Amino acid sequence: MNECAKDHLTVPLRDPAVVMRLARLGSFHQCRLSFMRTLLRRMKRDSWTFERPVFEIDEKGVGIAVYSACGPERTYSLVCFGHDLPPEHRSDRVIAHAWDSTFTLFDGAPTPADIERLHWNVPKQEAGRISNREISISRANRSVRLFEHVVDSLAAGRQPDRDQIEAVGYLMRTTAVYGSGKFGAADREAIADRPEFAAPFQAEMLSVFLTRAFTIDLVEHLARARAPETAVRVDQALRRRFSVGNSTGLGLAPFIVNHPVLLNNWIAAREEALARVRSLPRAAAEKALTFGAMLARARISAEEWRSEHSLQIQKLIMLRADLARLQVHIANGALDGEAPWDRLYGWAEANLSIEGQEQLVSLMLEPYDELVDDLADRMGADEDMAFRIDGAMSLDRLSGILDEIYGWALKIDWTSPDSLARVWYVSEEKLEPRLGERFEEPIEPYEQPLAPGRDAATLRREIEAWDGDRTVAAFLLRHPEHRHIVRRAQIATRFPYAEIRDNTISAALLPIDLLRCKLAFFGATHFDPRSDRWVRINMFQNAPFPHELSEGDADDWSYPSLPEAME
Amino acid sequence: MTFSLNEIEAMGKRAARGAGLPWGLAEEAGKAARWLTARGLPGPEELAEILTRNDGKSYDELAPVSAEGVWHAPSGRLCPLVAGAALCDRAAEIAAGREIEFGPTAQPLLLAPYAAGAARLTGAAVELSWAGAVMSFTPEGVSIEGDPAALTARSADSVQCRHAENAVVAPPVGAPGRVVDAETWSRLNAFAQRTFAPATEASRLAGAGAGLTDND
Repeated sequence: MNECAKDHLTVPLRDPAVVMRLARLGSFHQCRLSFMRTLLRRMKRDSWTFERPVFEIDEKGVGIAVYSACGPERTYSLVCFGHDLPPEHRSDRVIAHAWDSTFTLFDGAPTPADIERLHWNVPKQEAGRISNREISISRANRSVRLFEHVVDSLAAGRQPDRDQIEAVGYLMRTTAVYGSGKFGAADREAIADRPEFAAPFQAEMLSVFLTRAFTIDLVEHLARARAPETAVRVDQALRRRFSVGNSTGLGLAPFIVNHPVLLNNWIAAREEALARVRSLPRAAAEKALTFGAMLARARISAEEWRSEHSLQIQKLIMLRADLARLQVHIANGALDGEAPWDRLYGWAEANLSIEGQEQLVSLMLEPYDELVDDLADRMGADEDMAFRIDGAMSLDRLSGILDEIYGWALKIDWTSPDSLARVWYVSEEKLEPRLGERFEEPIEPYEQPLAPGRDAATLRREIEAWDGDRTVAAFLLRHPEHRHIVRRAQIATRFPYAEIRDNTISAALLPIDLLRCKLAFFGATHFDPRSDRWVRINMFQNAPFPHELSEGDADDWSYPSLPEAME
Repeated sequence: MTFSLNEIEAMGKRAARGAGLPWGLAEEAGKAARWLTARGLPGPEELAEILTRNDGKSYDELAPVSAEGVWHAPSGRLCPLVAGAALCDRAAEIAAGREIEFGPTAQPLLLAPYAAGAARLTGAAVELSWAGAVMSFTPEGVSIEGDPAALTARSADSVQCRHAENAVVAPPVGAPGRVVDAETWSRLNAFAQRTFAPATEASRLAGAGAGLTDND
């Protein structure tokens, strides 16, 4: 039956015009295909082992630690540097110059000479240089609210307060995790043929997974150093509640616009998974049970999810109500009968908020590992294969593509200041990506090409003056300013989910929608916007720690556990 | 200093944009620098040189006047970043047997990544030649004949690009990145700087929108 569902979809994939709206992308939730989950499933399956060959940290947290992950063919080591950061220097922004801890993922087991070299460079982050032996570079800051409380409690022989842990979620938050050749690191192409890195962002996720272990070891170590007589370790039951935080600004947004094939492959994989499940003629009893349990757990997650941002507070109110309604609908027999998942999705479209609909999509995939998990292998991308423009295309054909993919943009009044209100630019200050006001700041000359809708509308008007039988090559020879958008349009016609179908420079733009889409694919939970362009998240909350991976389920942590009485 | 290919492409794109190329051409210029570097050829150096030579010149001075006949530029020398893009746009015509002849062209080596793009796009073998140099491209790889001086000539009086019947190519060697001299890098960086907005206090506060304190 399941093979059948893979090969013969009776329900089509959702229309890109529905999926690729910012409000929907900004309501995505993690799912079976998220990169953290792919990583842990693989490491479990291939029996990876973990070691901590170095832990030379003093009573202030200053020093070096190394965490190694050994797979079937290769070993990777997270080299951690602990620093003594004055509080006034603690900033999560790209423009920061110092951090509580800095990290690099080393390709292999580092020698003392490697560590010495890294010691001179990794703490400086952007201002240092790393080599092609390093795969990622990152940094993290302590949560002032939680870190000291945990150290203090453990030193006094007490467990930290559960409410305070829940309120923050992490001991440290990463403020950037860079891969793909940044600052001299190994290029993506150099590692992309390794099976463990075939899926996107696996090295970065591995680095974060090991960072989480470091943060727990660090608080226990500091507590012991402070009060060797009384210090205790974090209780097993509490330990998994600690995630690694992440604090993210605008840098992620240009990435998803600048990697259209990659974005397509992520979304297409999830949409294919959804279509496979919706195409099932029946929901087997054990699948319905799994779904019910996951729904209950998602409700707990939604209750635990905290945000002070008014938009997210509203979305959470809707999400909680949606999940309650969904549970009643299921209890009333929604999964009985023919094509239950397709009917359930149709019901959700009519009855739930977009936030609730997307949570349901992720939940519908949960019972069907055998239908879904193989799609993780399709989520990588070679942007180069689609890079070259097809100059032989006729302008008539190009116009047709523009009408189809950018029809929404052709309807926008581009003479209205609100349509053009924003400018994406890069500041000379540590090359921080920023978003400015076109009509209030002198930044337009520095505009980055991150407004496909506007560019497509301009191109469409320009083409009108040309004979439709002429070629793209002839047109671009005279109008090179349109090469960028012609390339995008040609990519978007081959890769249906490559293009966001909303105005990315509108006065109404919420950049956090772009950030959330990407972070949901990473596997992040509990999105907490700090403004319209800044978001904090939890990563690996409730996941096993490296030493626990060999025992138990590696993929049963993305929603909090049910209280034992309910299991 | 040693740079990753990713850094070379990103710098090349920003530098080309800073030198005044439209974004689409700048993206292709960054790819060109990367492509050459990955094959042991002086990508960043060639790019820095052509951007310096053509700094301040308009697109129309550097682009082919017409795609018919011998391609030539009003300024007297075609810019390979512009002519290369136009060449790749004609990939299907080349694969179908059309030979494109370029008149005087600056730094013809920079045409190579675009000719390789044409081969990749169509699956056809493409040959590029000028005095003392012949390069062949297929989707699988490239062959290079010619001494270094001819390959990196500052200009060629004429360049031919045609469909090749039998090309014997080697796959790329996969250089992990390479040393770029400080002078070249700083020239590229000077162009790239033109794309960055000057830091102002207002922009620092509002532009990234971090909002609340991070010391929490």
